Amino acid sequence: MVKRLSDLTDEELIKEYQDNNTLEAYEILVKRYKDPLMNFVYRFLGDRDACTDVVQETMIKFYLNKDSYRSFAKFSTWIYTIAANLAKNELKRRKRRVIFSIDNSDDEKSPQIEDKMFLAPDKSADSEIKSEIIQKALLKVKPVYREVVVLRDIQDLSYEEISEITGLALGTVKSRINRGRIQLQKLLKNIYKE
Amino acid sequence: MSEFYNNKDEQKISNLIADLKKLPKVEAPENFEFNLMTRIQNENFGQAEEVRPRFNLLKFLAPSAAVLATVVLFFIFYPQQQDIQTQIAEKQSITDTPSIAGNSADKNVESLFSVPQKSTSPEVKSQRPSNIQSVEQNYKPAKQTIEFNPRKSVSVDDYISGANTSPNSGTRNSVVNVGERAIADGFFVEKKADQKTIEKYRHELDSLKKALLKADSLKKARK
Repeated sequence: MVKRLSDLTDEELIKEYQDNNTLEAYEILVKRYKDPLMNFVYRFLGDRDACTDVVQETMIKFYLNKDSYRSFAKFSTWIYTIAANLAKNELKRRKRRVIFSIDNSDDEKSPQIEDKMFLAPDKSADSEIKSEIIQKALLKVKPVYREVVVLRDIQDLSYEEISEITGLALGTVKSRINRGRIQLQKLLKNIYKE
Repeated sequence: MSEFYNNKDEQKISNLIADLKKLPKVEAPENFEFNLMTRIQNENFGQAEEVRPRFNLLKFLAPSAAVLATVVLFFIFYPQQQDIQTQIAEKQSITDTPSIAGNSADKNVESLFSVPQKSTSPEVKSQRPSNIQSVEQNYKPAKQTIEFNPRKSVSVDDYISGANTSPNSGTRNSVVNVGERAIADGFFVEKKADQKTIEKYRHELDSLKKALLKADSLKKARK
């Protein structure tokens, strides 16, 4: 009995795409990973438009460099690695842009972001606002810690998978996650008072 | 108490983790796939397309040619510089203290006369005794370039045939003056000046000086 493409695993699909250049297999993989990648990149960058661009670039890179995937690795880690690298590049580009704009124009000031961390606790109890506060606090965490915290606590990936994606040792991943959580907790001390 | 704090911290962390997991999932826009497939069909890959730099022979050759030229120039000029430096050093040693190839007695004489020669006038030179002039005539400048150390070098044929009994008899008696660069292989035979010869020439010098004084006084008297 011939399996339908949608029933195939990620690894089977990428193999199908690699061997037979089946565009349908590619489309199924895009469908499966567009949302998780969007979520990951959004939590890392904090910008929806930039995040869409990064995920698009990720998918195009996947389309163009399908042969660089090796079957011994998990497809999810491979695609997450591409997305993470592109997101980090985007972050670097933004930093450069910010420095450039500050250097060039004295009138332009860096935009003031409303700090909702200092809102009244009763207000911050509201889940929507809380989510927003957490996202803003997350963006203040160092990118090296933020990446692993997002992968672990938001994307629910295992330590081993994170280690593969980031190329870090397992111990480093664990310590970075811990440090990231502590940093985040300090930033959200108003919420987690009790 | 510390346990209480630890539990409290852990509780805070677990709350944070729970809140992170509860964060609303961000989804891709509806037209995401459409846009992506349109880009693929139009081959509009933008930044994602790897821009591999084309192999440029000129760009490749320019740095390597520069390096090669530097190396060649180094090998051309560096030995010449060394030669020039050695030649200068040798010339300086020759002008400062000329050495005499010959016996040690002649050397001592030359070294004795090297100082007064500078102070005497041309008139005095003409009045030098004949034996001193003969010494000057016998003077031979030292070899400027000695590529091989004659004391170390051995003629292989002579060595095999057994003819090379002594290392080098021609240089056995050569003595090096002060300031002259000597080729020494660890041993340097210093030959002390003969005291009698020194005394003899000292007397001659004294008499010469007296004669000069007399000549001067005669000139003054004539004037």
